[in-house]
Amino acid sequence: MKVRDVQHAVLPQATAEERSRQEAVVALRRLLNSKVRPRNVERYVEEAQPAFVEAYGRMPQSPEDVQRAFLMAPGYRRWSAANRAAQEMIWVSVGEPVYRDLDRMKKAAADLIGSPEKRGSLTLDPGYDPSPEVADVDIHLQPGGYAMNSDDQDVVAGALYECGGNVFSFGQGIGRSDSKAGVILRLLKEHFGGFVPEKMLDIGCSAGAASAAYAAHFTEGAVHAVDIGAGMLRYAHARAESLGVGVHFHQMDAASLDFANDSFDLVVSHNLMHEIGEEKRRRMIAESFRVVRPGGIVIHQDVAIRNQPSLVHQVERDWDTHFNGEVHWNTYATADLRADMIAAGFPGDMVIEHDLAALQGFANNRWYAVSGRKPVR
Amino acid sequence: MTSRTEAIAALIASSRGARPQSLASQEAEEVLNISLALVVELAVSNDRIDRLERLVAELREEDVEALRDIRYDGAIAREREDATEALLMRSLRVILDPRTAKDAGTPTG
Repeated sequence: MKVRDVQHAVLPQATAEERSRQEAVVALRRLLNSKVRPRNVERYVEEAQPAFVEAYGRMPQSPEDVQRAFLMAPGYRRWSAANRAAQEMIWVSVGEPVYRDLDRMKKAAADLIGSPEKRGSLTLDPGYDPSPEVADVDIHLQPGGYAMNSDDQDVVAGALYECGGNVFSFGQGIGRSDSKAGVILRLLKEHFGGFVPEKMLDIGCSAGAASAAYAAHFTEGAVHAVDIGAGMLRYAHARAESLGVGVHFHQMDAASLDFANDSFDLVVSHNLMHEIGEEKRRRMIAESFRVVRPGGIVIHQDVAIRNQPSLVHQVERDWDTHFNGEVHWNTYATADLRADMIAAGFPGDMVIEHDLAALQGFANNRWYAVSGRKPVR
Repeated sequence: MTSRTEAIAALIASSRGARPQSLASQEAEEVLNISLALVVELAVSNDRIDRLERLVAELREEDVEALRDIRYDGAIAREREDATEALLMRSLRVILDPRTAKDAGTPTG
């Protein structure tokens, strides 16, 4: 199943003018990413480092030094200001149609959620207070964050996530036919002998694009998915139902799953690790080990920002931590995830880090994943 | 149905956290943001003009490129030149104004 730019009943019905605005923001971001950002490391050498040496009488050494030096380079500062502005314009371009069309979207979602013929389910936990380390931050500047839930029909967080994600991804050079779920399905086929789960779990499912794609692919299996926000999950559930696939969505903390041991054949997460801190990430990985059955597979996929060739590249890539609300970006980029998997219980010889080509995209886009197989007792 | 201005206001109201600045001057950064937003709005207008051109070409039963290739001479050309120059003067007024700047960053009055 295609996961990006899919049409369904809960999407805002954008006008031609609103679509033009989103396409213009995509074009602006694509230009910044392909023509301006690639010069940042060059600017570091030509502008940032000399300015730092002149000011401090020594070469920049620590990540903090390199960051300070970058901000002494006018070219870097101009890119940074423009990139932040473009990121904020993503949300304006998608937020206007979302809020304008919200009454209709809420009604469409409520009808799908209340339908007696629905295929999946939605289990919200009114007693759950969404994890503040995620809920209290406007991650990648999404207004209101992932856990926003203004009323018992709210779907804004999910709609912003899906629509903003499309504008972000296309501006990043990610193809309209790319799919993180598709990349993992290809990995299962090529690396795990075409492993087919009867029951799988998607941790940190957000608006449910990957969860729905798995449900469409594993037609005989059951797909469960968890996230922290009721508004996000309500949207994800209605979206899946509108697309004609059944996913069982649960409001739950990734680091404290309310599933029995050995419940799933396959456990995945997509772009979750960079949204959570170190402690929660380790607990999430431990939970993924606990709930997968012996012989089952766990795959945690995320953005390919790890293993930068130099400290300068690493700090340049870390722009999102300070300027884009991605407070755990660098924590993820520099984490020893293989060690986390082994600490969770996976045998070292069954933990593999993968450098995965995207299914489609013009900018040699890649994805990172770490996988583990739970030993059969 | 929420109006467009209410929708934008709702979005702005829901944003949280401080806004980290990249440029040395907050004013310059805000002007850059406004300029980029206007570039996006110009692209939106260009799309609208493009749609109209295609519709007009269709009504005239001619190729849209032929419609776009229409050039005017004489009075009409001079009228367009005047309009363009006036647009540039309005846009660049601040650098055409001969008065010198003063009191940068200090309260006046």
